[in-house]
Amino acid sequence: MMDKLKLGVFELTDCGGCALNLLFLYERLFDLLEFYEIEEFHMATSLSGEGHYDVALVTGTVSTRRDLDLLKEARNRSEYLIALGTCATHGSVQGSVELPIREKLKAVYGDESNPMHALDPKPVVEYVAVDFALPGCPYDKREAFQALIDIAKGIEPVKKDYPVCIECKLNEYECVLVKKGLPCLGPITLGGCNAVCVRSGLGCIGCRGPLPGEVNPASEYEILKSKGYDDEYIVRKFKTFARWEP
Amino acid sequence: MRYIKLPSENFETFFNSLKEWGKVYGPVKKGSIYSFQEVDEVAELALDYTRTILPPKKFFVRPRDTMFRLKDGRWENGVEGEKFVLFGLHSCDIHGLKILDRVYLNEPVDPYYKARRDAALIVGISCMPDEYCFCKSLGTHFAMDGFDLFLHELPDGWLVRIGSVRGHEIAWENEELFEDVTDEDLKHFKEFEDRRANAFQKEIPQEGLADMLDLAYNSPVWKDYAEKCLACGNCNMVCPTCRCYEVCDRWVDAYSSVRERRYDSCFMESHGLVAGGHNFRPTRLDRFRHRYYCKSYFDPSAGFNCVGCGRCDEFCPAGIEHVKVLEEVRGSLR
Ligand code: SF4
Ligand code: SF4
Ligand code: SF4
Ligand code: SF4
Ligand code: SF4
Repeated sequence: MMDKLKLGVFELTDCGGCALNLLFLYERLFDLLEFYEIEEFHMATSLSGEGHYDVALVTGTVSTRRDLDLLKEARNRSEYLIALGTCATHGSVQGSVELPIREKLKAVYGDESNPMHALDPKPVVEYVAVDFALPGCPYDKREAFQALIDIAKGIEPVKKDYPVCIECKLNEYECVLVKKGLPCLGPITLGGCNAVCVRSGLGCIGCRGPLPGEVNPASEYEILKSKGYDDEYIVRKFKTFARWEP
Repeated sequence: MRYIKLPSENFETFFNSLKEWGKVYGPVKKGSIYSFQEVDEVAELALDYTRTILPPKKFFVRPRDTMFRLKDGRWENGVEGEKFVLFGLHSCDIHGLKILDRVYLNEPVDPYYKARRDAALIVGISCMPDEYCFCKSLGTHFAMDGFDLFLHELPDGWLVRIGSVRGHEIAWENEELFEDVTDEDLKHFKEFEDRRANAFQKEIPQEGLADMLDLAYNSPVWKDYAEKCLACGNCNMVCPTCRCYEVCDRWVDAYSSVRERRYDSCFMESHGLVAGGHNFRPTRLDRFRHRYYCKSYFDPSAGFNCVGCGRCDEFCPAGIEHVKVLEEVRGSLR
C-alpha cells in the first residue's frame, strides 16, 4: 500500500460550520482515511504538522493579519489547495459588506483602532492561487468527499458548470420562482447543492455564489422586479454571499 | 385499429387490473404542478392534468441514471427491465417518446433505454389544450401508434383505441369490462375532438420553418432574446425530446463507485466544449439560438424535434415563449 496522503484543514475567519461539516461525513470519513492522514485539523486531531501537505483544505475568509499568514503558510506547504465553502471562494456574508475596514470598525465599535489587525474580509481566492474551489454555505459534504477521493485516485475533480435550476429540475421540484413568485436566485447561482432550499419550498438565496461564465444577473434582476420586488431588496439579495463583479 | 368502450363504472376495475402488469405510474398533482408518480388508487390520479414537469422520458432515460457499478474491482452493468405501466400519457408525450426512439433505439441501441421501453405498457389519455399547447400545428395532437391502449373521454366512459398486440391481450383478458362502441359513442368522440381542435390558442406555422431558419441565423431577434435568457437550462430539462446527457462517475465509498448519466442542457458552457479547449457555442447567443435549430432545423425531413407540449414555455423563468420567438425571427426577415 502506498503512503497515505497528508491532509491539512485550515480554518480562517468563519462560523466553523465548514470545518465541522467534514466531520459530518461520518462513516465516509473512514473511507477518506483509507487514503489520507490528517496532519492538521484543530477539530479532529491534536497533531499539528510542521511539514508538507499533499492536500490542504482552507475554510473561511481572510479577515485578519493572522488569517493571511496562515493562508500563506498553507499555500506554501501544500501541493493541492482547495478553497472550501463560500467564505473561502466568494467571501460569503462577512465579505459582502463593501466598506473600508476602518469605516466598518467605526460603525460597529465606534472606534477606528484596529488592535486585532483586522482586514477587509476577502475570499481565499483573492490572495492565493487555488487548485479547486468548492463553494456552499456550507458546501455539500458529498461534493467534498467526491473531490477528495478523486484527488486520492489521481483524478482531477470536475468543476460544476450549471446553475441550481438544473438539479432543481432533475428532482422535479415545483419552481418557486415561476409558480409562487418567490425570489429564487437559482438561475444565476452555481449548482451542486441538489437544490436543497427548493426542496423545502424556499427560494435559493445564492449561497454557492454566482454561476461562472455567462451568468445573466441583469435578466434575473428584471424578473424579480416584474414580480414586485424593489430595487434595494433585490440588490441586497444578490449581495448576500458574494460581491457581484459588474 | 380496434375500438372498444370502457364504461365509467368499470374504470376503476380496469385500472386495478393493470397492476398485474407491474407498478403503475400516472399523473398526480403536487402543489401547483403535476408529476408522473407511482399510483395505487384511481383517486390519486389527476386525469385532467395539463402537463407534468418532467415528461415520461424520465422512465426511460432517468434524470440521474446509473449505468455501471464498480464493485470489488469489477464493473456491473445496470440494465434492468422490470415491467411497469405508464398510465395517462398525452398524445404529445407519446410522440416525444417516438422521437427519443429514433435516437436511442437506432444503432448503436441504448441498452438501458431499450430494456425499459420493452418493459413499459403505455396507456394514453385524451386531453384539452391550455394556453401553452401547440401540438396540433405540429401534427402531434393525435397518436396513431406508440401506445398499447389509448383512452378517449366520453360523457359516460371511455372510447379505447387498441394500439398493440399487448393492448389486444389486455382487452381480451378483461373482456367483461368492455362493450362494443356505438354510433353515439363515435359521435361523442368526434364532438370531443372538434371541441379540442377549436380550443388551441397557439400554433407554430410549420410551413417553410426550416428555410426560414436557414436565412435567419443572423437575425437580431436571437440577440434580443439572448439578453433575456438566463441560460438556466430549464427548457431543456423539461423537454420530452431533449436527448443530451452528461456522464459522471460518483464514488460510493473508498473502493466502489457508480457511473451515472444525467440530463444535460446545451445552455451549459461545457456542452459545446471539446478537447483542446475549443467551444462550438461560446456565447449565450450561440446557445440560445442552437436550441431552436435543434428543435426545428437539423433534420426536418425526419420530423421536428418538438412536439408542442408547452413545457419550455410554462417553466421558463424569463417567460420566453417558443412560438413567439420563432415568429419574431420570421418577422425580422420581412
Ligand atoms: S425554483 Fe429556483 S432553482 Fe428551481 S427551477 Fe425555479 S428558479 Fe431554478
Ligand atoms: S439552493 Fe441556493 S441557497 Fe440553497 S443551498 Fe443551494 S445554492 Fe445555497
Ligand atoms: S428556460 Fe428560459 S431562461 Fe432558461 S435557458 Fe431556457 S429560454 Fe433561457
Ligand atoms: S421545445 Fe418546448 S414545446 Fe417543444 S417539445 Fe420541447 S418542451 Fe415541448
Ligand atoms: S442540443 Fe440542446 S435542445 Fe438539442 S437535444 Fe440537446 S439539450 Fe436538447
